[in-house]
Amino acid sequence: MSIKRNFFAGVDVGSLAAKSVILEDGEIFATGLVPSGVDSVESGLKALNLALETGGLIQEDLTYIVGTGYGRVSAPYANKAVTEITCHAKGANYLHPSVRTIIDMGGQDCKAIRIDQDGAVVDFAMNDKCAAGTGRFLEVMAGVFKVKLEDLGALALSATELVPMSSTCTVFAESETISLVARGEKPANILNGIHHAIANRISGLFARVGIASDVFFSGGVAKNTGMKTAIEEALKVTIVKPEIDPQLIGALGAAVLARSFSKKEGLWA
Amino acid sequence: MAKTALYEYPAELREEFEATEDIHFRDGSRATAADVWHFMTEIGPKRYPFAYTQKKYAGSRLSRDIHLPSAIKNHYLLLTMNDRINKSRENGAPVIFVQGGQSVDPYYAAGGIALRPASVGLWARGRHEGLGLNEEAIRSRNQREKANHAISFEACQTAGYANIQEDDLPVDMVAPFTCLRCSDISYGVEAHRHGPNKAVKLMNIDYPMRHQADKPWAVEYFARNLRRLTSEIGKRAGREVTDDDLTKEIKLHNEGRRLAIDTAELWWSADLPPTNGVDRRALYQMGGMEIHGDPSASLTVLRESNAYIRERVKRGIKAEGVVDKPIRLFVCGSCVFPNDFRIEEAGAIIVGQDNHWSDISTLVAEEGDPYQNLAHAILSYPYEQSIEKRAEWTIEQLKKSRADGVLFLYQWGCNTQSAIARMLCDTIKRDSGIPTMIIEQHEGGSEQSEQLLNRVNAFIEML
Repeated sequence: MSIKRNFFAGVDVGSLAAKSVILEDGEIFATGLVPSGVDSVESGLKALNLALETGGLIQEDLTYIVGTGYGRVSAPYANKAVTEITCHAKGANYLHPSVRTIIDMGGQDCKAIRIDQDGAVVDFAMNDKCAAGTGRFLEVMAGVFKVKLEDLGALALSATELVPMSSTCTVFAESETISLVARGEKPANILNGIHHAIANRISGLFARVGIASDVFFSGGVAKNTGMKTAIEEALKVTIVKPEIDPQLIGALGAAVLARSFSKKEGLWA
Repeated sequence: MAKTALYEYPAELREEFEATEDIHFRDGSRATAADVWHFMTEIGPKRYPFAYTQKKYAGSRLSRDIHLPSAIKNHYLLLTMNDRINKSRENGAPVIFVQGGQSVDPYYAAGGIALRPASVGLWARGRHEGLGLNEEAIRSRNQREKANHAISFEACQTAGYANIQEDDLPVDMVAPFTCLRCSDISYGVEAHRHGPNKAVKLMNIDYPMRHQADKPWAVEYFARNLRRLTSEIGKRAGREVTDDDLTKEIKLHNEGRRLAIDTAELWWSADLPPTNGVDRRALYQMGGMEIHGDPSASLTVLRESNAYIRERVKRGIKAEGVVDKPIRLFVCGSCVFPNDFRIEEAGAIIVGQDNHWSDISTLVAEEGDPYQNLAHAILSYPYEQSIEKRAEWTIEQLKKSRADGVLFLYQWGCNTQSAIARMLCDTIKRDSGIPTMIIEQHEGGSEQSEQLLNRVNAFIEML
């Protein structure tokens, strides 16, 4: 007699990437990550299908799906939609139950989230609508210096000096960067300034919600080592090391919630 | 492009609706429920198709709580605004553009019609017929853009002035209480200096700020300004305004205010929400006697609605589309509120708002000098007091409404509320323990951005 296996999926459609995580009971079973396209539904499905293929599953094998991220409102495949703030909290808590503070930096916003021992959000603050201080901001800067986005952090860490920069507006910062390049400043030093400017901007969010250990860094920008170092310096904290790609934390939290919702709804015992 | 089907009221509702009460207007005329039904089912869809949109998050769409007569009658009064105001103007009533959050008793006492910025917008909307939802949104957005181009500094709700200056909306006077809650009056002054429509008289009714309600000189000074106001409007309306006129008007408006307070207390006491958030807000706002441009009409609908709400609360009837035990949100700040449809879909409901409620819930004494009484009441508006006092009053409203959380929203460019938000929210949180969240809205439009709604949804999930 075969025992029925329960699979739960979280799909996080962000502005730059779509991510999915499938849990088998309480364990990570498969993941998927693809760039976001112009069709939100299609992007989410691509990420989900990638994880399904990796795990050798089909969509019908899934007991429950939770959609999150900005694309959650266009996720007909999901049983429920939850904001990514709640999902990042659950995802970080799943990996590190001792985490009480999360910095989430995604493609178009960054968030300071405080959570309790159960991974429930107790307070949060977000940057304003401007893309300054987000993944999009770094993407623009990578374009200015003609380097790959993933190399930006390492380049910043190779700096010998810190060039003062503002982070109020992406367009202004781009002009400021071009001026600095024209004046002969070294790219690494300018990038160091950019990373620290973003980190200082994030400090403002934590002034509102406070910081408590342990601190977790999630979202696509968390892969940037230069940003991690700049934030650790600005906030005077040590960020815990994630076991999985930090860009998947929102989708992971959504999968954790999918498991919990489906249990409450009596879909499995 | 294929047109999408418009919403239709169910025909089987007609008999039930036509048995409800008439709407009585200030000029002695009336609209029977049959007239209202005819307009809303036959005329309205042709003249104002945007309101009949099936788009579920559109802020201007008709309420689907079809068994609540006020929901239909409120929309009727909003959609007939242009017809009624034109008729009143032809009969000699001057229309005066006033400030948000102020009472309108003296304007009506003097024979005028007072419209706040949102109502001026409703009137302007009524002058452009046959527009679908997107066409109406483009028209409205273009007006705001024109207003933004007309000034050299940032301001928020500028569309009211743009409607007067750019759309030739036939307003007879601009006469707001100045220094009240908003920074957009400065825009009004600049628009008058530079706008093409200089024929509109500008008269600022100076409002002495900072704890003035108990200072006799301030009450006297403001009362004198109110006399100046009624005299000026009276001249335009071709009549002399007596103290008795103002006393009568105060009594009428007090009835509206009392009914709104009673309706709110009933609503707040209910185990299950008796209306959705949109209809609740309309009911409370009717107590301000301004929203329809006819206090008598608002009062008729409010009286009838109060009885319906009482019955729903007594029988435990829940409004359609609202969950059994929603998260209860109280909204602070001027001019902006989150999309009710999205809030309710997320399992919450808005139970109240400090904006306007401050003036609606302030009764005016009815004995003695009416100008002094009115001046004293206006200077006592809790919303206009110090942050500590405003927070104290807001906490009282939070307790009465059993709110779980506070959302403070303000419009980008609002230089007053943006400065107050943080301190007010911190004080509320400190003294009541109720979580708060501050959101700045950057663009107009009732459906709102995903970024804004993302914050609101996350706040609801947190609560």
